[in-house]
Amino acid sequence: MKIGRLPALVRTTTFRLALLHASIFILFTASLLAYLYYETAGHLGRQAEVELNAEFGELSAAYRGGGLDRLKQAVTERREARGKFFYLLQDGSGQKIEGDFDVLPAPAPVGQVVNVEFAYDARTIQGQPSRRSAEGRISRLSEGGVLMVAYDVGDLGEMNQRITDVVWRSAAVGFVLSLIGGVVISRSAAQRAEQLAKTTEGVMGGDLTRRAPVFGSGDEFDRLSEQLNAMLAKLERLVISSRSAGDSIAHDLRSPLTRLRNRLEAGLRDTDKDGARAALVRSIDDVDSVLDTFNAILRLSRVQAGATGSFRRTNVTDITNELAELYQPVCEEKRLAFNYLPHGELFVLADRDLVAQAMSNLMDNAVKYTPEGGAIRLEVRRGLNGDVDLTVADSGPGIPPQDRERAIERFVRLEQSRSQPGSGLGLSLAAAVAEAHAGKLILADGGGPPARPGLSATLRLPAA
Amino acid sequence: MRVIVIEDDADAAAFVKGVLNEAGHAVDVCGDGKSGLNKARTGDYDALVVDRMLPGMDGLKLLKSYRDGGGRAPALFLSALGEVDHRVEGLQAGGDDYLVKPYAPSELVARVEALGRRATGDIPTTKLAVGGLEMDLLARTVNRDGQKIDLQPREFRLLEFLMRHAGQVVTRTMLLEKVWDYHFDPQTNVIDVHVSRLRGKIDKDFARPLLHTVRGAGYRLEA
Repeated sequence: MKIGRLPALVRTTTFRLALLHASIFILFTASLLAYLYYETAGHLGRQAEVELNAEFGELSAAYRGGGLDRLKQAVTERREARGKFFYLLQDGSGQKIEGDFDVLPAPAPVGQVVNVEFAYDARTIQGQPSRRSAEGRISRLSEGGVLMVAYDVGDLGEMNQRITDVVWRSAAVGFVLSLIGGVVISRSAAQRAEQLAKTTEGVMGGDLTRRAPVFGSGDEFDRLSEQLNAMLAKLERLVISSRSAGDSIAHDLRSPLTRLRNRLEAGLRDTDKDGARAALVRSIDDVDSVLDTFNAILRLSRVQAGATGSFRRTNVTDITNELAELYQPVCEEKRLAFNYLPHGELFVLADRDLVAQAMSNLMDNAVKYTPEGGAIRLEVRRGLNGDVDLTVADSGPGIPPQDRERAIERFVRLEQSRSQPGSGLGLSLAAAVAEAHAGKLILADGGGPPARPGLSATLRLPAA
Repeated sequence: MRVIVIEDDADAAAFVKGVLNEAGHAVDVCGDGKSGLNKARTGDYDALVVDRMLPGMDGLKLLKSYRDGGGRAPALFLSALGEVDHRVEGLQAGGDDYLVKPYAPSELVARVEALGRRATGDIPTTKLAVGGLEMDLLARTVNRDGQKIDLQPREFRLLEFLMRHAGQVVTRTMLLEKVWDYHFDPQTNVIDVHVSRLRGKIDKDFARPLLHTVRGAGYRLEA
């Protein structure tokens, strides 16, 4: 059998949730009502049945003990006792022997027993005629007679009827309520989903500032919205940084290329052979700096994509020992006091080359921006939560707090550093390396005087 | 040196050939992996320059087959893939060095020439000598004209590398890779400072300098 496409309404989550909700609610209500019925009306009916069985059992016992005569005697006694039961005893030819009724309300059964419901006329205490309903059991006796025992349903029936009515009405109301409830509940869920869809639609339309509403209820939709918003914030940052990256690449590459062109031009005009040669040598430096920028871009992209690195349990102190040794002479050359504070063995899950490069970038920056006579500190220590902090602190101009986040973005070079050589990717790469290690790069004050606070850059890696 | 360049990009191959020719080496060029492998096997080359991405047979496979077939000429990989993992793959396939594109011509020449020296210097040595400078690799001592020179461990390794490649240009990148085992270029002139310190120790008190700076390329230790 082929199932056609369902109409649009049926396919909505609202409709499905409403239907599901209603079904569950109805199932629940139905079981509750069934139980209620079983315990009330059902119970009354069963009790009457039990009593009828007992009465019938006693009369049958009388019949077995003394035949029709004894049975007749028993029926007479019981009628005189004025219990709740009515009787009719007939002989084989259908003549009444004893009893409250004259005729059977239904034909006597061919087999043993039949249950009947019937109505009869009686008089009230005030003598008014009234029609009452009764239930009874008719049984054919082994010698050909017929015995009927019945009881007045009366109040019991009325109670039964009322309970049944209540149950049905409740079921009807419950059904309607459950449908309404289902629609209300699923509408609210669908509305939240709709809001999320609208947000993403807006973002796809180019408005990156759109955010999904968060109501603070902390429910799944709020969490989803928060996640979506965090994702959008990151996306926005990336888009903005790649937009400005385009400008920055142009800027970073245009200046050396322009310089290169001028130099080649001058070299061409230079009739002196050594002068032309010098121009060529310096031109190669310019080209190298362009190539360096390209390499840095490529490397950063790969690290950010998580496409590189072989991570091993590594003692970071080994890495910093080598770096300290590598940079010590440079610091001395620049008359910078270099202070290396290692901290025994500290293990992290790391790619040695990546961490070394990130730290080397931080050291490069420190050396570059700290004026002569300043100080640089390379420190390794166990941070909070067992993280391992690799810190390079300098006594340079530092980065104002409001600029720190931007300084980490790709290609962002703060105004005052634009004139300095470098690709503007050093901090970005350090941050990308930190991220690749599930850690982060933290920029803070270097702790110097307000005029020259210095910068403290910490690569925080989770311990292994 | 006789060098075979196996590179499918005709422009790149011509560039490599030009650079190496200029440095005084004989160069054959081959454009695809299979014929390159045949040529490398039959010709008598001092060094192979192999691009990693080749039509027909990629560079890694080519070099593995070459080594399995008993080829012993040292090989330099050229590749746009420059991460440490890629280098390790290259070295595992039997490569002796790995150069990432784009590269400076001087870098290429320096590395190819360093390869040639390695091939001829297979016998383990315990002593190195350049001019009056002597290095004892076992005792880990250095003398110049009989005068003892004290070196830090890293300076010792730096000088050892320079002496093993005496007469050749070694680039800053080569020093970073071979002496420090770093596969990135620091922005500051760390290597220059280390070299100048070493120079202070081995050249300062002597009339004739041994450690020369080659502009735009690197350094050369030469008597």
